[in-house]
Amino acid sequence: MIGLDEAAFVLLAVVAVVTAIAALLARELVHTIMWIAVFFVDLAMVYFLLDAPFLGVLQLGVYAGAVTVLLLFGIMVTRKRIFSREAATGIGPVPVALALLTFVFLVACVGELPTGTLVPATYAPSALSATLFSSDGAWVLLLGLIMLTSVSGAIYLVREGRE
Amino acid sequence: MSGLSEVGFVALSGALLAVGLFGILTRRNFILLLVAIEIAMNATILNFVYFAAFAPTAAGGLSGQAIAVVLVGFAATEVAVGLAIVLALNRAKGTINVAEATQLRL
Repeated sequence: MIGLDEAAFVLLAVVAVVTAIAALLARELVHTIMWIAVFFVDLAMVYFLLDAPFLGVLQLGVYAGAVTVLLLFGIMVTRKRIFSREAATGIGPVPVALALLTFVFLVACVGELPTGTLVPATYAPSALSATLFSSDGAWVLLLGLIMLTSVSGAIYLVREGRE
Repeated sequence: MSGLSEVGFVALSGALLAVGLFGILTRRNFILLLVAIEIAMNATILNFVYFAAFAPTAAGGLSGQAIAVVLVGFAATEVAVGLAIVLALNRAKGTINVAEATQLRL
């Protein structure tokens, strides 16, 4: 008997893989962004299914919200016509073989995982927030420093009259 | 999440990583390349979130989720810098095809 959780996971997993492939194979860039938005929302649902609501909300806000809009903005400012088609690029056998090899290798590694009595734990968002600003605070500081550096770099890259 | 098996999760993240790798190897448009990198990064974050639930201590599990939170921030930063490169490349070459970018100097 398949449980509700498993059924939901299988559905979400299939949608994630199909939307990821559709995003990469779409001929129009705007369609790519639409597929990738569905992909991000789908992964947020997986995080909610995993009892990680903090990550789910972050995924919705940062990925489905900010990253999608940033990518759309990138298309908007670099094209003369928004709905112009991409030239078809070939799907060679070597990239497909490499991707399949990676997948098979990763799934084969499942056998190396410890099995048996482990019970999955769930964590309250408040506990995660407390960790982010106490014992794992160094990561957050590092993230802040990297963001500051990259924003300076991005401004340098796009400013006028750089020559 | 009681009934979810690790095989399913490793298969999902492995499949997403493979799709992302395929995109990085085949696409020539810079924005599609960014999308492929995001798909591969999401596969990694999914692994962190899933295996955090099986850490031996609560502190370890919370650290796993904290790293996932930080990785989401890194991914957003990477898209911002990537789009700045897209704009600079478009201004210099008039295209965002990465095959045209043959010099480091824009």
